[in-house]
Amino acid sequence: MNYENIEILFVEDSADDAMLTIRALKKSGFTNKLHHVSDGAEALDFIYCRGIYETRNFSDHPKLILLDLKMPKVSGLQVLEKVKADPDLHSIPIVMLTSSNEGPDIERCYALGANSYIVKPVDSDKFFHAIKEIGMYWMVLSQSGN
Amino acid sequence: MENDDSSELIIANKAIDFQNKEKELRAGELIVANKELVYQNVEKEKRAQELVIANVELDFQHKEKELRAAELVVANKELVFQNNEKEKRAQELVVANEELAFQNKEKELRAAELIVANKELVFQNEEKEKRAQELVIANEELAFQNREKELRAAELIVANKELLFQNEEKEKRAQELAIANQELAFQNSEKEKRAKELITANEDLKQAEDDIRKLNDELEQKVIERTAQLESVNKELESFSYSVSHDLRAPIRAIDGYTKIIAEDYAEKFDEDGVKILQSIINNSKKMGLLIDDLLAFSKLGRKQVAFSDIDMMGLVASVQEDLLFDEDDNVPKFNIDALPDAKGDKALIKQVWINLISNAIKYSKYKEKTTVHIGAYIQDNRTVYTIRDEGAGFDMAYYDKLFGVFQRLHSQAEFEGTGIGLAIVQKIVARHYGTVWAESKVDEGTCFYFSLPSITN
Repeated sequence: MNYENIEILFVEDSADDAMLTIRALKKSGFTNKLHHVSDGAEALDFIYCRGIYETRNFSDHPKLILLDLKMPKVSGLQVLEKVKADPDLHSIPIVMLTSSNEGPDIERCYALGANSYIVKPVDSDKFFHAIKEIGMYWMVLSQSGN
Repeated sequence: MENDDSSELIIANKAIDFQNKEKELRAGELIVANKELVYQNVEKEKRAQELVIANVELDFQHKEKELRAAELVVANKELVFQNNEKEKRAQELVVANEELAFQNKEKELRAAELIVANKELVFQNEEKEKRAQELVIANEELAFQNREKELRAAELIVANKELLFQNEEKEKRAQELAIANQELAFQNSEKEKRAKELITANEDLKQAEDDIRKLNDELEQKVIERTAQLESVNKELESFSYSVSHDLRAPIRAIDGYTKIIAEDYAEKFDEDGVKILQSIINNSKKMGLLIDDLLAFSKLGRKQVAFSDIDMMGLVASVQEDLLFDEDDNVPKFNIDALPDAKGDKALIKQVWINLISNAIKYSKYKEKTTVHIGAYIQDNRTVYTIRDEGAGFDMAYYDKLFGVFQRLHSQAEFEGTGIGLAIVQKIVARHYGTVWAESKVDEGTCFYFSLPSITN
């Protein structure tokens, strides 16, 4: 598989949420190359070109990471911490996706350097809208930054 | 030969001449030496004279020294004599000295004894003076007492007469007292009986009190245990409702999302009924989402710390009015707001109370033309009671007990939308402010909600 020019790395363990998110991005005319992985461990493999991603070029960083908070094995928080602590990667914008606006997670995410924190709305219209907005915002921002 | 002779003569002459000259030189030298000798002679003579004078002087000095030596011998003898005298005197002085030292010590001892004796005398003197003064005072006192005793004696004579009279009276009284005494003795024994009874009763009471205390302690222990149980159950419930509502959101989101995909992408494969059913699924999942969000908000409320501060109630109600957004065609009643006293409370939570009550008042007034919502307040028992009265649909007071229940509704969803959490939240917030909330209503006439908060002065 070709992992060149991946612009969005999408980390989501729920197949339903993943499907709806990807559809929302495509529906809103979002054509950037997106790669979906289903847990934090695979996300780290992708970012650091390990395992099935060992042929990928490390310097070819994604322009945006959409990261679900609660996942099996390696959690979104752990991925966030690792990427933001890495001087090669810390400038990649990371948008946290979560089912709740509860608990210390929000403060913890911002403290670790998350760029946004989005609570997934139950209403699919709102959900599509939110996904579209964050996608556009961070992609445009990272392009103007280049 | 003559020549020879003459030459010899010449030579001799010359020799003589030479010798002559030599002699003349020698004579000149001798003259000089002579003069020198003469000079030396004169000098020696002068020296000899000086020596003679010096000799005379030395001779004189010699004689003087001899005289002096003779004098010194005499003086020496005198000194030896004096020395011996002084040694004798010194020995005498040592003896005298020892005697004086001994006398000195004796005098010191005597002086010390005298000082002691002196102090003793001074002390005795002072004592005697004191005693003399005391004696003067005692004397005066005795004189005074004497006079007093004379007076007293005169009084005693009078008193004696009086006592005599009293004695007679007392004898009479003693007889009366003897009778009274018998009565008292009887009463006393009665009282002793009663005291014994009281002691017994007291012991019973104490026993009962101990029992009550024991029961009380047990009860308190039970209350503590029960409270702990309730707290832990409460916490479990909160975390349960939180995780339930949290985990419920994901599948609802999926149902809603997939249904929408069908409605958007496969609409042509459904007939009118099918599309309606899809819309019903969407509506229901939306409603479920709202219920979950409300449940989440309600469970969050139980865990939130209440941060008390002074609240500007007029400002807060005005900001709530501004925050509530209405569509142009919404039927918003007229608002009539009295002066509202400030209160103590958590501003964010009290704002939620006003949001829920004001939006309820608007919602339940929507089917009536030109109604008024009246907001007011009054003080009662150190508490401020806030009121909000609408002229809307009202409710049947028969169902009052369901009014503040979670997800309890007194109207149909078709009539008035809502999940039934708003008043439950109001009640929980007010309870957490140590206040109460209640309502009065008449069907078709309107409803008035009341809630009390601690006054600002408390």
